Amino acid sequence: MSIRRLIAATAAVITAGLTLVIAPAIAHHSSAPFYDPDNRVEIEGAVTRFVFRNPHAFLYLDVTDESGETSEWQIELGAPVSIRRAGWTPDSLPIGMIVKASGQRSRADGSQGLCCVRMTKADGSPVLEGGRVEERTQPPR
Amino acid sequence: MQPVSKISKIIKGKTVYAIALSLITGFSVSQLNAQSAAVPDLSGTWDGGFGARPVNGENVPWGEDNFPVLNERALAYQSVWEEIMAPKYDCQPASSPAIQYDPYHMEVTQWPDRVLFRYEKDDQLRTVWLDGREPKSTDFGIQGFSVGHYEDGALMVTTTHFVFDVAGFDDYNGIPSSAQKIVTERYWINGDDLNVTLTVEDPMFLREPTSYTTRWLPARPGYKLAPYDCDPESSRASVRFFPSEYK
Repeated sequence: MSIRRLIAATAAVITAGLTLVIAPAIAHHSSAPFYDPDNRVEIEGAVTRFVFRNPHAFLYLDVTDESGETSEWQIELGAPVSIRRAGWTPDSLPIGMIVKASGQRSRADGSQGLCCVRMTKADGSPVLEGGRVEERTQPPR
Repeated sequence: MQPVSKISKIIKGKTVYAIALSLITGFSVSQLNAQSAAVPDLSGTWDGGFGARPVNGENVPWGEDNFPVLNERALAYQSVWEEIMAPKYDCQPASSPAIQYDPYHMEVTQWPDRVLFRYEKDDQLRTVWLDGREPKSTDFGIQGFSVGHYEDGALMVTTTHFVFDVAGFDDYNGIPSSAQKIVTERYWINGDDLNVTLTVEDPMFLREPTSYTTRWLPARPGYKLAPYDCDPESSRASVRFFPSEYK
């Protein structure tokens, strides 16, 4: 096996099982127009929808704030055509599952969106069994 | 017999011969072609993701060294451009020169009279005709009309007849492309990699042609392109997060 193939194969193995996908990192556009990298927020909520369709999977959570009010948050994930290779399926985030997520908040005033998230189950364990929680970084340019 | 129909008959005859020979020998047509020293073996499934090249950045593939020189028309267009104007948010497929750099897989199939480029992104198929045919007025499309030939161990491709595309240059910079866009590509194999140098010219918006060179890595064994099936809801789901200047 050539060195390049070994590197590519190793990268694929590392990617598999990762709980976290920096969504636009494997998408076809930059996240910057939509999400602010300088505005990171943390949320915890129950899954109400997991839309596993291209070009981006989207996770919807019901999040209850400190005042007891519940509202919907939308988390942008990667392209299913790509993240499925890391083990993600439409059933990876079932309705009712509690997840924690921290990520870049959406720019539009009053909107409740996140991207580029670090996401775990409520107990801090990976969403995907055997996966890691670390945030994957962009490759060097 | 008219010259055109005679040539057509020869091409068809060669095609039938190649297919028959492939059945007898067990070789694929691409393998038969590849055995010719002049025809590189580009066939297979290729990985254009982050392991192959930098992706998803405002300065790739167009950076300081090759960013297009825009004319006044393009600059005026950019001044009113917003990201959410891009038709990709309504599932319009990407086209050249962007689709070659999208971080997804690609499959190349070489036939005697054509080369097929199938892109996982947006389920797109580009046909590069090798038989000398010329485009008709009905051949305008998002992917244009491509013709090609082999030269010095590389596949040379010229694509014209693109329809006007409001975001037809790339995904980031709000540069449109016109029906005058011409994209030329040179594909060659270097070690295990598939390489391309792509040049785009469009006098409607660019003062001069510009180019980039990139590569794909071999896909992992057994990988098959998955359906993309762009979903309109998923495509527009993030649009409301963009702080538009327009009502």
